[in-house]
Amino acid sequence: MIGCTTTLILLVSFILSSSILASAAGQQVIVCIQCHTGQPAQLSQPVKLWQASIHAEHGIACNACHGGDPLDSVSAMSPARGFRGTPLPTAVPALCGGCHMGVMKYYALSAHGKTLGSGGPTCVTCHGSHNVVSASLDLISKKNCTPCHTFDQARLIRSAMLKTEGMLKAIEKRISTLKSQGIETDGLEKRLFALRNRFHAMYHSLDINLIKQESAHIQAELEKSNGVGGVGTGPLPGALAVGWALLAALLFSLIKKNVD
Amino acid sequence: MNVLKNLYNWIDVRLGAREIIDKKRSGYLLPSNINACYSLGSVLLVIFALQIVTGLLLMLYYVPDIDKAFNSVSFIMNEIPLGRLIRLCHAVGSSMMILVLLLHMFSVLFMGSYKSPRELHWLTGFILFLMAMGISLTGYLLPWNQLSFWATTVATDCVGTIPIIGQYLVELLRGGKLVGFQTLGRFYTLHVGLLPAVITILIGIHLFLIQRTGVSTPPFGIDNTSNQWKSEKFAYEEHPGGIPFFPNFFLQDMISVSLYLACFMALVFFFPNLFIPSTAYMPANPYVTPANIKPEWYFLANYQTLKLFPSEIIGLTVQVTALAFVALLPFLDRGTEKHPLKRPVFTFCAVAGILLWLGMTVWGYYS
Repeated sequence: MIGCTTTLILLVSFILSSSILASAAGQQVIVCIQCHTGQPAQLSQPVKLWQASIHAEHGIACNACHGGDPLDSVSAMSPARGFRGTPLPTAVPALCGGCHMGVMKYYALSAHGKTLGSGGPTCVTCHGSHNVVSASLDLISKKNCTPCHTFDQARLIRSAMLKTEGMLKAIEKRISTLKSQGIETDGLEKRLFALRNRFHAMYHSLDINLIKQESAHIQAELEKSNGVGGVGTGPLPGALAVGWALLAALLFSLIKKNVD
Repeated sequence: MNVLKNLYNWIDVRLGAREIIDKKRSGYLLPSNINACYSLGSVLLVIFALQIVTGLLLMLYYVPDIDKAFNSVSFIMNEIPLGRLIRLCHAVGSSMMILVLLLHMFSVLFMGSYKSPRELHWLTGFILFLMAMGISLTGYLLPWNQLSFWATTVATDCVGTIPIIGQYLVELLRGGKLVGFQTLGRFYTLHVGLLPAVITILIGIHLFLIQRTGVSTPPFGIDNTSNQWKSEKFAYEEHPGGIPFFPNFFLQDMISVSLYLACFMALVFFFPNLFIPSTAYMPANPYVTPANIKPEWYFLANYQTLKLFPSEIIGLTVQVTALAFVALLPFLDRGTEKHPLKRPVFTFCAVAGILLWLGMTVWGYYS
């Protein structure tokens, strides 16, 4: 009897035990955001802008550009912890190029890169500083280009890239559809990611011949990606399965009519 | 043919197989006015068997670990031959099981088949319905995707509204404060072990009860549609001049099963995502709550009812009361009339109740 009771108590304790709780600690909010969110507009505005940026979407936080220790509120802005504050305009391409190496290579060779420090644009001129937007054809616009020069060359570059950008968008949409059906798209996504990066990096060369040449290569690569995916159950096996079941129903009803 | 005949004889002399078949052919007679609704039980047996078979096949590759569950399901669907079909059959099958169970219950309701002496049939059937919802809920979490994670979080949160013991029950279900690896372990154990065993036993009891009392007479196509049962002593409901179960009604069962399979296959092959939204293909992320997270369609009415009342405890009390009323219906409705048109108050209330449930489901979907 005592043994049974003990076993029962142990069993209940086993089920009720929550001592090894999963410590699903909340996602750590970095101190920069905690502190700046409550600051006056000029200091809190960057947080709001960043939250809507492509960097926030990919988890690239303040310290990636400004340095410092995002986990220690006391020395978050200490130069000893790598805090560099607002980078000088001339230092921006090198800073961004630390991650976006392909872009940096093309930018440095372009007219934009060659005029750095003498009025030429840096990365933030087109992509923004805190509300960073990803490279897209929308950035090659009259609004962005004409403050410095005419839109003629930019228009040529834009139209040379239009078809490839359309193909990228179409494949992205297709991947999204495949994913929503539970179809494995990892390989396709990685390939598209690499091609898109290569293509978007090339935006920055401003060399119309190179853009046309590379666009043709990328389009050929994208064509290959177009046939991938679509591992479905298929309409033909479906039609056969439904057809067989209906045929069986018909057969049974004929036999039943005969038996009745 | 001789081999088969010899094998049949071999079994017959040991188990009396011929006697069983003869009994089913001539001894087990069903009402002559029996209709196709009576075959929904057989359809449910087939659905349950299919769920067991597909579930066992999925278990060969599924890994009940929060870091591996989603990928293992993705692996089943994308890499294993026929894995996609088997997984979709299992996922769509669970919804179809609830749907057919509801149809079965509605037919019993309107034909008055729950009336004496079949109170226990109704009660075991009702518990089976709750168990089916339970097994679907526990299975829902297993792929560890965004939808399953958050739907389980919302569903288990509802239990917390029960006064005093609510929070303890939530922790008991989850195995901790939050939905995590302990929840997955618990739901997996319930889904593949405990609940299938309980359902199998309940099906056995349900079938045993039907065998003991005989099949109820449907109230259509006959003059006297009142319940003929006399409460003095046990009596098997005979149907002299009725139709034999085998082969006549067995063929009706086969027709219904085939038609069900046609609908089921059409859903699996052509509309698999009718019951599976795109969030079901995104890995669970405890830090990102998807917009408009909704439970499965059969919980939408409960979900909307909870939202409708200012206090969740009122919503929960209303639901428990409604469920208790349905469960105890044979004990509350003591009238002898079975024909739905000859008991208009009951029919009106039943139709209104079903429409209310449908309305709440649609409202829950669009809310």
